[in-house]
Amino acid sequence: MIKIKKLSKFYGKNQVLNSIDLEFEKGKIYGIVGENGAGKTTLFRCISGLENYKGNISYDNTKLKDHLGLLLTEPFFFSKITGKEYIQLLANTRQIELSNIENKNIFDLPLNQYASTYSTGMKKKLALTAILLQQNDVFILDEPFNGVDIQSNLIITEIIKRFKELEKIVIISSHIFSTLADTCDEIHLMKNGEIIKKVKQVDFNNLEKEMKEFTVGNRINKLELK
Amino acid sequence: MIDFGLPLLIGYTLLPFVFVLLSNYLFEKTEFANYIYGLLAVSFVSKLSEPKRNDFLKSIFNKYNYKKLRILENIIYCLPFTLFLIYQKQFLFSIILNLCVTIIMLFNFSTNLNVTIPTPFSKNPFEFTVGFRKTFYVFPIAYFLTYISVTVGNFNLGVFSMLLIGITCFSYYSKTENEYFVWNYNLSSKEFLLEKMKTCLTYFSILSLPIIITLGISFFNQIDILIVFIFLCYAYLTTIIFAKYSSFPNEMNMSKVILIGLSFMFPPILLIFIPLFYSQSIKKLNTILND
Repeated sequence: MIKIKKLSKFYGKNQVLNSIDLEFEKGKIYGIVGENGAGKTTLFRCISGLENYKGNISYDNTKLKDHLGLLLTEPFFFSKITGKEYIQLLANTRQIELSNIENKNIFDLPLNQYASTYSTGMKKKLALTAILLQQNDVFILDEPFNGVDIQSNLIITEIIKRFKELEKIVIISSHIFSTLADTCDEIHLMKNGEIIKKVKQVDFNNLEKEMKEFTVGNRINKLELK
Repeated sequence: MIDFGLPLLIGYTLLPFVFVLLSNYLFEKTEFANYIYGLLAVSFVSKLSEPKRNDFLKSIFNKYNYKKLRILENIIYCLPFTLFLIYQKQFLFSIILNLCVTIIMLFNFSTNLNVTIPTPFSKNPFEFTVGFRKTFYVFPIAYFLTYISVTVGNFNLGVFSMLLIGITCFSYYSKTENEYFVWNYNLSSKEFLLEKMKTCLTYFSILSLPIIITLGISFFNQIDILIVFIFLCYAYLTTIIFAKYSSFPNEMNMSKVILIGLSFMFPPILLIFIPLFYSQSIKKLNTILND
């Protein structure tokens, strides 16, 4: 279980995370939603240890980082490295012996081409494949469905569901509510660096309605569309 | 410029002086300088012919304005070269150069070769995988120089060919990678640095092995000097790895670049730099690797 206690993060004087308390259990899928700038990515970076923070994050008395697969919103790629080599690189970082990478290419990516030439969706799929093959116990997926085609969307959804069976912890952020509703056990709503609501699966429909009312409200009327 | 630890204003002020100095050096050194200079200018200007960039410009400007803009930017881009050619009284070359860059405007082409170049280092990315693809042509040149050194009996040329490979491998570690690729390692900072060192020294040894064997056999009486140079290469490669991670996740700053530059003039100073950069690297990596 991942336990987060009183997590705060400041960039200079600007507080981006404000005393967050969260718990993530094994075999459960968690969604984090919120507007752009709500602090989702910063929260993920803190959990993964890419940022310094105030507070405490613990994971079964072991180093969380070494068991964590992190999918960034915009994965970074070297200029002259192929898809296959990218997967190999990430496996090497965890001392995982990989054989027959082509057989594990579930998204049918052109693995022998330079990854930097891939489209946004292909890059996301490659980065996801690489962290899947790292055999992690915890996954943080920041916008995994962004730019990805509908077929791959279905595959990713199924993978996430399979993780639940495998007792993994998965934390996802997405702006597509339906994908979260399909996969998550719990959704946390973030605003201005705080978790303002925790919603269980049975209340997802209400959450969507509430979010719509809260977010959309009468904003569109201001445009005076004709 | 900020990447090199230089403020922008100083960087841009220094740039013209560096340009003039290098141009002067080229024209002093070879009688074919105007040809080399022309090629340099054309390859510099050809960066503006990237299809993506030009598609964007075409979507904004009409055909006439687009052509006007492209001709103008190509001429402005090669203006420093034109002015230097005029200064060198190479009037005909300056006219030809400007004609060439005007014609280039008609073509859009990518200057990045996207063909996947095979590499023997794909099992252990990334420094040598990426580096080899960018500098693969250096190795046949180095091996050819070794061959020449043996045929003309010039040991120094042979050593130079090995140093060429050393400098090339050295360049693979000059750029800092995204912190994600360090964070991913489940190693301690010390293990991480040793792993990087092991990969670098092994691959350098493999690439320079044909040269070392050839020189060792052909110039057996100078093998002690050869061994000194091999160890110097190892020391400099170790230095650059430690120096790179001593600033991580930032790029190496100018002061470190100068220190490394100084070490080329006085190699024993590496005995101070290597442990210094090592301890700084450990500190920097501890925060990323949560050690």
